[in-house]
Amino acid sequence: MAKNQIRLVDTDIHERVQYKDILEYLDEPFKHYIENCHWIQEKHMPYTQPAVAGVDRADAILPDGRPAGSDLGFMQEQLLDEIGHEYGILTSALDPSPSSMHGWYEMAIALASAYNNWQIKEWLEKDDRLYGSVHIAAQDPKAAVKEIERVGSHPKMVQVLLPIDDIMWGDPFYHPIFEAAEKHHLMIGMHHNEPPIYYGKWPRYFIEWHTLIPTAHIKQITNMVFNGVFDKFPNLGLMMIEGGFTWVPHIMWKMDQQYRDLRHEVPWLKRKPSDIFKKQIRVTTQPAEELTKQEFMSLIEQMGTDEILCFSTDYPHWDYDSPTRALPNMDPELKQKIFADNAKAFYPKLP
Amino acid sequence: MKEQVVCKTTDIDPGEMKATNFGKQNVLVCRTLDGEFYAFLNQCTHQGAPLDKGIMCGATIDTSKPGEYHYRRNGEIIRCPWHGREFDIKNEGRMLANPEKKLPNYKVRVEDEDVIVYK
Repeated sequence: MAKNQIRLVDTDIHERVQYKDILEYLDEPFKHYIENCHWIQEKHMPYTQPAVAGVDRADAILPDGRPAGSDLGFMQEQLLDEIGHEYGILTSALDPSPSSMHGWYEMAIALASAYNNWQIKEWLEKDDRLYGSVHIAAQDPKAAVKEIERVGSHPKMVQVLLPIDDIMWGDPFYHPIFEAAEKHHLMIGMHHNEPPIYYGKWPRYFIEWHTLIPTAHIKQITNMVFNGVFDKFPNLGLMMIEGGFTWVPHIMWKMDQQYRDLRHEVPWLKRKPSDIFKKQIRVTTQPAEELTKQEFMSLIEQMGTDEILCFSTDYPHWDYDSPTRALPNMDPELKQKIFADNAKAFYPKLP
Repeated sequence: MKEQVVCKTTDIDPGEMKATNFGKQNVLVCRTLDGEFYAFLNQCTHQGAPLDKGIMCGATIDTSKPGEYHYRRNGEIIRCPWHGREFDIKNEGRMLANPEKKLPNYKVRVEDEDVIVYK
């Protein structure tokens, strides 16, 4: 059981569906396309797997061979009960995952609905600690709004995961989605997907791709801030997931500096970009760079607030962060914020 | 009180500005389109650029929705010649992007045709 007194709010847990398990939630003909026509989601990372069990923790593979993250009971035993989670936010994983699907709009829409239903029934309604993410096919904003209207009011849905595509999130294309999310007290969550960190293509090596993940976060934040999303939707928040956090002071400084010189181009911005960041953007910690306490505290000081960071494990993936080992020791008050209170304050629907 | 005639009113047309000397200080005298005179230290607060080499213009200053521009206050904004920072002439030289910052300013009065700067 819990070794630390603070009950963790874990902001990135990957539950995993298998194709065979989602079939009963899919409408025809999409069920047919998977069952009889062998549709699989386009996934083609051109690298060797990063770790001994692919992208998963080897000890998170189920004893019967099913993939990591695909069984609630095992996740309860290995993660939620073992760590003593208060809450965990599900962010889905891999293949198939509607939150990273491009192309074939109709399949993307059907898959998102099926996934949401599967997530609600198999996870959210079976464990009080788990909260979920609404999946949408954002390439069709009308359908996306419809899906948010359909499941967004579920008491355990706390955010909308947007697929990253070649239209940046500040574009008015997405504004109807933000409006629907705001209406249902849902935040927007960004979890990187493949491959947009590198000019739409893959870099040569996995180590480059994995190093550059936060550049995708930086791009979306810059785009959303300067396009006025956070001014137009003052109750909307953005959770930037799985990009680490050491880049945060850099982009705050960079945006503020540019704003001082170039304000005239974005007159709808009435707040300093770093003030917008402090109020409406939160960042999950994993994968945490290994910092000394001094380095960590210096970063917090550079951010100008200790309310941005929210701890995440990324269970069951290979680069999992242990709640007891990933971050340096810190004062109990700060720990309480990073491990629990910041996420609770951010998600309106989290108790 | 220190004061000094820095130029004649006819030296600066409305909508223009001019670098002058006030003692040892280089002072920018601006004349807005309504004919009023204002004086500031002729150095940007940022990196010291000579403001008289910039322009007096308007700005996209009003509240607007994303994607909307409202150009206002023509002739009442100084724009720095280097990084383009904007300062509000009629609001104590405050910077538009950060009103907590302002150009050091001087008092100005006009007697006959003399523009007099004083502290």
